[in-house]
Amino acid sequence: MPLHRPESLSAALELLQGGRAVALAGGTDLYPALRDGTPPPEMVDLTRVDGLRGISRSETGWRIGGATTWTQVLKADLPPLFNGLKAAAREVGSVQIQNTGTVAGNLCNASPAADGVPALLALDAEVELAAPSGTRRMPLGDFITGPRATHLAPGEILTALLIPEADGRGAFFKLGARRYLVISIAMVSAVVETEGDAIKSARLAVGACSPVARRLPALEAALAGKTISQAGQAALTYDYPELSPIDDVRAGAGYRREAVATLVARAIGQAALTDKEVPHVA
Amino acid sequence: MTKTFRMDEAQPRLLDETGQGIVGAPLDRPEGPKKVSGRAAYAADGLPENAAHGVLVRATIAQGRVTKIDESSVSDVSGLLGVFHGPKMTRNPAQGMAGEAPVQPGDEVHYHGQPIALVVAESFEAARDAAQRLAVSYDADTDVITDPSRSETHEQDDPETAGDFEAAFAASEVTLDRTYTTPPHAAAAMEPHAAVAEWEGDAVTLRGALQMLRFNKKELADSLGIDPDKVRILSPYIGGGFGSKLGIGPEAVAAALAARELGRPVRVVMTRQTVFDSVLRRTETSQRLRLGADKDGTLRALSHDDRVSNIRDEGFAEPVSQASQFLYGAEGLSFTQTLARICRTPAGSVRAPGEAVGMLALEQAMDELAEELGMCPVELRLKNLPDKNPMTDQPFSATRLADCLREGAEQFGWGERKPMGERREGDWYVGMGMASAARSNMLIKSAARVRLTGDGAVVETDMTDIGTGSYAILGQITAEMLGLPIAQVEVRLGDTSFPGASGSGGSFGASSAGSATFLAAKAIRETLAERMGCSLSELTLQNGIARGGNREVPLSQLVDGELVEEASVESGSTADSHFSAGFGAHFAEVAVHAYTGEVRVRRMLGVMAMGRILNEKTARSQALGGMIWGIGSALTEKLTHDPRTGHLATRDLANYHVPAHADVPGDLKVVFLEERDDMANPIQTKGIGELGISGAGAAILNAVRNACGARVYDMPATPDRVITAMDAAGF
Repeated sequence: MPLHRPESLSAALELLQGGRAVALAGGTDLYPALRDGTPPPEMVDLTRVDGLRGISRSETGWRIGGATTWTQVLKADLPPLFNGLKAAAREVGSVQIQNTGTVAGNLCNASPAADGVPALLALDAEVELAAPSGTRRMPLGDFITGPRATHLAPGEILTALLIPEADGRGAFFKLGARRYLVISIAMVSAVVETEGDAIKSARLAVGACSPVARRLPALEAALAGKTISQAGQAALTYDYPELSPIDDVRAGAGYRREAVATLVARAIGQAALTDKEVPHVA
Repeated sequence: MTKTFRMDEAQPRLLDETGQGIVGAPLDRPEGPKKVSGRAAYAADGLPENAAHGVLVRATIAQGRVTKIDESSVSDVSGLLGVFHGPKMTRNPAQGMAGEAPVQPGDEVHYHGQPIALVVAESFEAARDAAQRLAVSYDADTDVITDPSRSETHEQDDPETAGDFEAAFAASEVTLDRTYTTPPHAAAAMEPHAAVAEWEGDAVTLRGALQMLRFNKKELADSLGIDPDKVRILSPYIGGGFGSKLGIGPEAVAAALAARELGRPVRVVMTRQTVFDSVLRRTETSQRLRLGADKDGTLRALSHDDRVSNIRDEGFAEPVSQASQFLYGAEGLSFTQTLARICRTPAGSVRAPGEAVGMLALEQAMDELAEELGMCPVELRLKNLPDKNPMTDQPFSATRLADCLREGAEQFGWGERKPMGERREGDWYVGMGMASAARSNMLIKSAARVRLTGDGAVVETDMTDIGTGSYAILGQITAEMLGLPIAQVEVRLGDTSFPGASGSGGSFGASSAGSATFLAAKAIRETLAERMGCSLSELTLQNGIARGGNREVPLSQLVDGELVEEASVESGSTADSHFSAGFGAHFAEVAVHAYTGEVRVRRMLGVMAMGRILNEKTARSQALGGMIWGIGSALTEKLTHDPRTGHLATRDLANYHVPAHADVPGDLKVVFLEERDDMANPIQTKGIGELGISGAGAAILNAVRNACGARVYDMPATPDRVITAMDAAGF
């Protein structure tokens, strides 16, 4: 099984045409899957491709290269807008996984419980997809279509996440059946902008409670102008029609619904704080 | 001729007189640097030249027959060496101390995941590829029973009783009748099961990940149909066992069969998923506890009935009520076990079989009884401590349970415990709980050889070190007895060409192999006394110098070449006249999130009396590890089976939740109370490894109840279950 290690995007794209080769980044999903099925005929390692790794800022916003690792996200010098994404980066698998696993890998793997997705949804991220014919952009919310399913076309590479510049602060909470190194029962990310005591805007996303992580547009709209404590109350009484949690080995659907409301209220409260992080651990 | 010592009477406490200060000291493991620097060769390391690679193919039906294994389906795999199957393939690992082949089911399939063939190729990748693509045809049974509650094959034992339980229960002023369930558990040792088999003529050498080599040798020989003398097993380092490596496994038998056929070494390493599917699990349990007491807290009736499961033809049944039978006394005692036959991964010994799950139920029931009585849980236990085993009337050989309870309560600050639900910090309820700890103690036949050269000594036994500290303690016993610096003692383990030991299991390894080592060293002392011309009581050995009879002679002058002694120990009449068990008390403080039900263990204290402590550091590590398993059994660990096929759904460490570091409190403390068990063995020790888990989980669950009112009857107490139980309790 040949492993290609191209250094340019055009070379990588060329190698991926024809449908024989699969794209490899951190390998944290691809390698474990090898034990369960026939291996792909060829693999193309994208981590050496020029421009695919790292975080940069332009006049309109931020660009996170697809092959950026979660540890790089965690260590990057980013404004409080990204606090939720950083908190999520800390919860992707273990430190070893974060050291090698990439942002694009987390999205393309498209697990309903992908830890990176809610925070990026709350940041209004778009994906940049490269093909030999050119690149296209698509909102992240449209890109992931179902469990393990995306709009990534054969031979395409997710080259970057594009995040519009915005004010506000982020937060992220993950709930699992143990404290760390756990697949989520539910997770919530928030980006909140405040004006005085009131919420100017709130962006909220929930993962592991529907086939694809979801934004909560109705609740977001309802929060504008509310105080933080009013917003928390609204989160606790909201009925979350966007979500369709299921019973599985990790928890029941009813518990997920109940826990999400608490996590959303908590995330709004934390995102609105300007001080140091609220301690999450008892 | 090896001397066999029978433990028929209490022995002098020689290790208290030798005066070296080596036994008991918290010394580092001598093999530690090798292990943390990757130089310790585990089973799958150090591949022999020309080795081939084997991958197990496993059944994908719950029950039935293999009708065809189509080798032509993989004939295109380059480097394929063969597909091996047939009547000698084993269904599952042998049970601990079986000493004979596990079930060899031929073409029958008894559970989903059963190894049915071994594919061998020049590379691991080729073997894995072929194993995945091998076409297997089955004749699958319908209506397979995978759920123990639906099993129609129940084997029920007659109740074990003392007194008249029913009458005592009926006459009790306060009664409690509760059912608790625990899920199946995995041993979850870090090192996957692995074997490298190599033949020379008609003899096989197996490098394996195994806990009990004296038994494993016979098991492998019986599986292959050869004489045990033709088997040598090497298992010098083992990356954790927890019961899962007690018996010879399918990977070892398959590797040996293929290696014989191919005439070259074969290595088989199980994937993590294969370990979960094909290595013995702990049974799920359903446990009914009935307690009856007078209003002053005197227990009058205690019954602990349980239902466990196993696959057909497997003799093991988790001894769930083991500790319930001796921990507290009552007028009427009754214990009934039911074994359901189901098609799931076979069940066997996992981390303190019996106590680990039985005490979760017993010690929660005791907590519930204390609450009914309006009594302090510590006081309730103190009030009901028997001085004899209530089922057998044997006096306890040594018990400091009362001291453990009192000392623990004092050190933990038990007096600060608030009534249920009254301590809250922000969104978190905080509470305290406690439980007794108990684990029965054993001495198992064991032999060891000690060689004294002038300036050093060597210990040889097929005892294993599964991460427990065998290398350390056997060296310490020898150094203590022979007056040598610890660095001058070399310990050689894990080789069946050495004298046969108990192996590691049931927490009896240190006591058994330690006693044999002690006796061999003691025999050397006798020879040295003779050579010094003094009586044994006059002999002092220190820093390589022998003193006695007004003489002082370096050992190097006393020993010309080598002085070699081999000794063997086995249990004797003290095992009948007395009952030996380790005892302790666990205390826990937890915080429970009021809205998500997440439980965080804030601190734990275990106070334990486990006989003489041979190495304070490795003993503490054992106890801490046990307490962490306690956290797992209370809060996180659960194997989930697919109800249709019995196949495990949680078959890796991402989905089977042993506690992560973040689940373990920094304030996790162990206190050992000084104790000598004169009736247990000649070195006055007791088993250590498993006492730490026994009761620990119940202390946590009792703390959850105290914190927020939640009593979870189906373990583990995951956040969703805690929230439901809080709602039920009106919190």
